[in-house]
Amino acid sequence: MSVGGPLIDGDWLQARLGDPDLVILEIDERPLIYRVGHIPGAHCLDWRTELQDPVTRDLPDADAMAGLCARVGITAASTVVLYGDKSNWYACFGFWLLRHYGIADLRLLDGGRQAWLAEGRPLSVDEPEVPAGRETVLPRAGTGVRAMLADVQAAIGGAVQLLDVRTAAEYRGEVLTEPGYPQEGAQRPGHIPTAINVPWDVAVDQDGRVLPEARLRERLREHGVDLNRPAITYCRIGERSAHTWFVLSELLGLRARNYDGSWTEWGSMVGMPVAVGNGERPAAAADPADAGVGTGGAGAVDPPSN
Amino acid sequence: MAPNPADTLQADPAQTLASVRAELAKVRASVARIERDLGLLEATQRGAGGTGRERPDRYLQVLVDVYDRGGRHGLDPDGFAAVGERHGYDRRGLGGFFTGGRAPLRRDHERILLTPYGEQLVDLYLQRLAP
Repeated sequence: MSVGGPLIDGDWLQARLGDPDLVILEIDERPLIYRVGHIPGAHCLDWRTELQDPVTRDLPDADAMAGLCARVGITAASTVVLYGDKSNWYACFGFWLLRHYGIADLRLLDGGRQAWLAEGRPLSVDEPEVPAGRETVLPRAGTGVRAMLADVQAAIGGAVQLLDVRTAAEYRGEVLTEPGYPQEGAQRPGHIPTAINVPWDVAVDQDGRVLPEARLRERLREHGVDLNRPAITYCRIGERSAHTWFVLSELLGLRARNYDGSWTEWGSMVGMPVAVGNGERPAAAADPADAGVGTGGAGAVDPPSN
Repeated sequence: MAPNPADTLQADPAQTLASVRAELAKVRASVARIERDLGLLEATQRGAGGTGRERPDRYLQVLVDVYDRGGRHGLDPDGFAAVGERHGYDRRGLGGFFTGGRAPLRRDHERILLTPYGEQLVDLYLQRLAP
């Protein structure tokens, strides 16, 4: 994918380190990895405590988001760069959350931590300070990137595509969750009726970088995605699907929303319709790499935790 | 006595398949949870000076690097060898990471990935860095 818009690369970022209008945010599955070393000037956001409401299962409210923006110094003039571990899953969730709250200039570092490390770029263990007296933004929710349960129910069999970005095994209903994520199980396995299976890593290379645009479009089409129709993405808790949302919405310009309730909501509620098996996946999209627990992504590998 | 799945299958194949899948999924989730709890117990035992084998820092740092540099798809063999070398391991000496019932790493389609137990060891190492 070409860089310079919402997707930036290490050269772009390294050339701008120290820019006072640049806010760099690292969001990891394991936030302590930040302490091993991070991009100089980056703040660490904890997705468990800062990107969710601490009590209700919901996003942080506007007051909490205002506090977060003040902590890291996001002003109206800021360019906010996000990156993280595990091929940017949680960084994409943060990107989506900030977009939901109307933050305008957002960028994602292609490949995240692993790309920065692989390129041998500088690291720091110092935590940045925000200069006092900054007039930080007051976020307001409602930019149309979030899908709620009712939106998904209305989309079944309709004009809006439902894209299940979990592994093929999760989609088929063979597993509730994956090894290493026992806390993310639902009450029932399977998928939302009429959803098609488009594993998130269809969009990336082995190193977690987003594929070149032509190849990206080709792979999405191969998996049955209509690039001219609006879409709702979901996974287990909404972070993998935030990655696919980023690709569709921010890079390819689709009208896409992320259903952050995802399968842990749908698969746990009483009376919800559930489909199992290969479902609506187009036969033409069959891919040997999808036969196992793996993702069927670009690398045709079956990682244990994706 | 539980009904014979084959008999039920003839009565209502779709419902039976869904039911068996649901049961299997729950068993797998339970196994994953037990694996995780067992890993934590073993790790706690080691931390308390129990009989478990102490892991040297460089061993744990290899695992952290696999986690950090491998992303979702893991490292390729050359990348793993480079990680090992960075921490003082000869390429031939890296096989020990894959052996034993509690191996922290596994190979899958030529990619090197953490096992759930390996992830527990990474968490233990990272917890030392907490403020």
